[in-house]
Amino acid sequence: MERNTNRNGLVNMLTLLAVASAALGVARHSNTLAGLVAVIFLGIGALVAVVSWFQMRLEAREAMEKLELDELGRSKDSTLFESKDAEAYPARRSREQFEKYFVPAFTVLLLVAQGIGAWLMWQWLSKPGVNLRLSDSMFAMAIFGVFFLVQFLLGKYAVNLARIENNRLLRPGAGYLLLGAYLSLAVAVGLVLVQAGFERADLYLAYGLTAVLALVAAETLITLILEIYRPRIKGKVERPIYESRLVGLLGSPEGLVTTAAQALDYQFGFKVSETWFYRFLEKALGWLILMQVAALLLSTMFVVINPGEEALLERWGKPVEGRGLLKPGPHLKLPWPIDKVYRYQTEQIQHFLVGSVPEGDKPEPRLVLWTVSHSKEENFLVANRDAIGLSTTNQAGARRTPPVSLLTVSIPVQYQITNLPAWVYNNEDAPSLLQDLATREVTRYLATIDMGHIMGQGRLEASEELVRRIQAAADERSLGAHIISAGLQDLHPPVKVAPDYEKVVGAIQTRQAKILSAQADEIRTNAMSEAVAVGVTNRAAADRTVRVTGTLAQAALFTNQIPAYQAAPSVYLERAYLQAIAGASTNARKYVLLTTNTQDVLTFDLQDRIREDLLNLNVPPPKQ
Amino acid sequence: MTLTIGILLILIVGLLLFVFQVRQSEVVVVTTFGKPTRPIKDPGAYFKLPWPIQNVHRFDQRVQNFEDKMNEGLTSDSFNLLSSVYVGWKITDATAFFPKFAGSSKPMAEAERVLERLLGNAKAAVIGKHPLADFLSTDASENRFAQIEQEILDSVRGQVKANNYGIDLEFLRFKRLGLPEAVTQSVFERMTAERQVLINKSQFEGEAEAQKIRSEAESRAVAMIGDAEAEATRIRGRGEAEAAESLAVFQKNPELANFIFKLNALESALREKSTLVFDQNTSPFDLFRGVGTNLVSRPGKTQ
Repeated sequence: MERNTNRNGLVNMLTLLAVASAALGVARHSNTLAGLVAVIFLGIGALVAVVSWFQMRLEAREAMEKLELDELGRSKDSTLFESKDAEAYPARRSREQFEKYFVPAFTVLLLVAQGIGAWLMWQWLSKPGVNLRLSDSMFAMAIFGVFFLVQFLLGKYAVNLARIENNRLLRPGAGYLLLGAYLSLAVAVGLVLVQAGFERADLYLAYGLTAVLALVAAETLITLILEIYRPRIKGKVERPIYESRLVGLLGSPEGLVTTAAQALDYQFGFKVSETWFYRFLEKALGWLILMQVAALLLSTMFVVINPGEEALLERWGKPVEGRGLLKPGPHLKLPWPIDKVYRYQTEQIQHFLVGSVPEGDKPEPRLVLWTVSHSKEENFLVANRDAIGLSTTNQAGARRTPPVSLLTVSIPVQYQITNLPAWVYNNEDAPSLLQDLATREVTRYLATIDMGHIMGQGRLEASEELVRRIQAAADERSLGAHIISAGLQDLHPPVKVAPDYEKVVGAIQTRQAKILSAQADEIRTNAMSEAVAVGVTNRAAADRTVRVTGTLAQAALFTNQIPAYQAAPSVYLERAYLQAIAGASTNARKYVLLTTNTQDVLTFDLQDRIREDLLNLNVPPPKQ
Repeated sequence: MTLTIGILLILIVGLLLFVFQVRQSEVVVVTTFGKPTRPIKDPGAYFKLPWPIQNVHRFDQRVQNFEDKMNEGLTSDSFNLLSSVYVGWKITDATAFFPKFAGSSKPMAEAERVLERLLGNAKAAVIGKHPLADFLSTDASENRFAQIEQEILDSVRGQVKANNYGIDLEFLRFKRLGLPEAVTQSVFERMTAERQVLINKSQFEGEAEAQKIRSEAESRAVAMIGDAEAEATRIRGRGEAEAAESLAVFQKNPELANFIFKLNALESALREKSTLVFDQNTSPFDLFRGVGTNLVSRPGKTQ
């Protein structure tokens, strides 16, 4: 029986080593993350199995040594073999030394391996670039299924053997074997879920297994600490400290059911576990689980396509004749993995940006100015119409190269998928191709358009032309997409030269202001000159009237003066003269010289005073 | 019960080990002991011997979109031009493709690396044959984008076929054109200078226009006033002519008329600031004759 146990320990060890190696190869080949974490468990299990098998061998040697000594003791003089010297029991001494030094050291190493393994796996899984793309997952599923079967059968046998023979050293390896079986099953189920469309199932399972590995490491640490304070009772069989209770529990989930039954018994006060229902449940549990699996498979025969979605139906990977495209609504299909459905949002308006894209986490500014950077600027080459003779010619007769300018653009392109099979089956990455096609059309269009034109009146025309061109390019590649719009959302010179463009606008405004000011002056000059002209003609008309009427009046007066003159010629003349001289000289300064016969020289200062002085003041007469 | 579950599991595992699917988008090469034995292009379910006897290698047979790096080239008129292209390629012969690229863990990426090397050479050669005006021109008919793309495509396609990579190029398009950093700075300076030309143009054109408007207005004003003065002269002339009709009355007594005219003229002449010096012989100051003159007061003189 002892040899049987040893052999079983060896089988466990070899199985764990083989499965761990094979699982590593398959996990790397198919890129299953959960598979890689399971490999760590299997590797640790193999190490534990090696150590426990070695310990088993030491105990077997000790037992053999004891038997031989007992035999000799009975046949020979017993006194020769009653020595207490340790050298008399080399096998026992080897086992004791192994348990005293090697086992704790190995357990510490185990703790380090578990802890570092869990930490490194968690770090690796948390990396943003972790590859979630599986390859050959069906193959990996099958192999992990085989691993499950092999480990489960061997593990069950080893666990029962350990219980029957009460061999504590067989338990650790058997526990890891059973745990390995369930982990293999979990990995296979994870792969099934990925195939069923839950793309991150493998990743989440890997996280879960890494957490379990961390828990096992924590348990090993606690066991090591408790081992220091554990009372040593002579003769009591000790549990190997590298044996994990958690692994044993996970490897024998039925133990959980037993514990739960005992808890129910205790809670209800009678043997719930002995009722017919509980016994039925216990017996039929396997069938119930099978029925659940069957129900799950049956549920894959019904598929509901949501509004706004379309789906591709494939049978054995081939589009189903006449039903390759499923519209919104309920549909029947063959169960997975025969028929598979791939859903896509086809009515949803999708978009991408050509050119400048918003800068990472920066919030979008409320005020977008040419002169302030507001996006990750991407400049496109633009041909300038050579308005000021800047083009160059390198060789005689060669074509003239127009001046090159740079333009920053950000063009949101909106599209809808109109032909899903074409969208999915013609190109490996249709969204990316559509973006490349649009970028090419923008590059090409801008290379042939004048910068001033597109920034001004040609903007709307450019938008329409770009939609037309991108649609034509998409149709040429049979993309199955309808281009809805391509708006020139952000179109301006690069930030570095944008201020100069604003200055031009300022100069144009100044020019307009100057012209307007001159026009205002023109209006004033015209109005004033018209007024002056009218004044001149009016004065002339008035003069004419005065002249005519004055002459008429003078003539009339003269007609009346003639009789008066004729009546008293000399008197009339003198009177007229005196009246005239009196009237005319009223305001004149008058000097009357009465000394006509003198030799004196009289000097008059006839200069006008520019400034008045006190002598010119009219002093009011004193009041009476 | 355990037996049933075991049989079921064995059936499922067997199915998974012996049967594999090929999707519409895939092409598959089945290898037997590592040697390609069966290429499959059509979708469906197929039988195979379990690993490690037979192995299934899957490749995407749809058009792959690959973009090369932006790199610098020289046009025939010696302009440095940055350009990047994207290429649509697909696997046309899986048995030829498999031995050349399946050794890599990422055969499609490996194929794209090979394509990138071929592209770099072909692109530089074709761009070097064309002037910048073939890429940039405000005249759409002069733009030779499509022709240049076709030349690069033909060149790469020829090399791919000659080497029997098992792939074919569906299309090739320029994605971006650009200028090196130093040239970009120069373009910015030129754009700034160009703007300065426009600023000056606007500024001086405005001043010239304003001056023109003002001078035209002044010219019109002078002409208008001149016309008005001429008209005024004509009006005065007409007045003079009309007044002359009344002059015959004065001819009845010219002596009196002239005397009255003189008096009127005298009145008009003396209306504003005048200084008159009279002697005692002038009427009415002859009334002062002999009154308080120096003839009386001067000593040594006889009256």
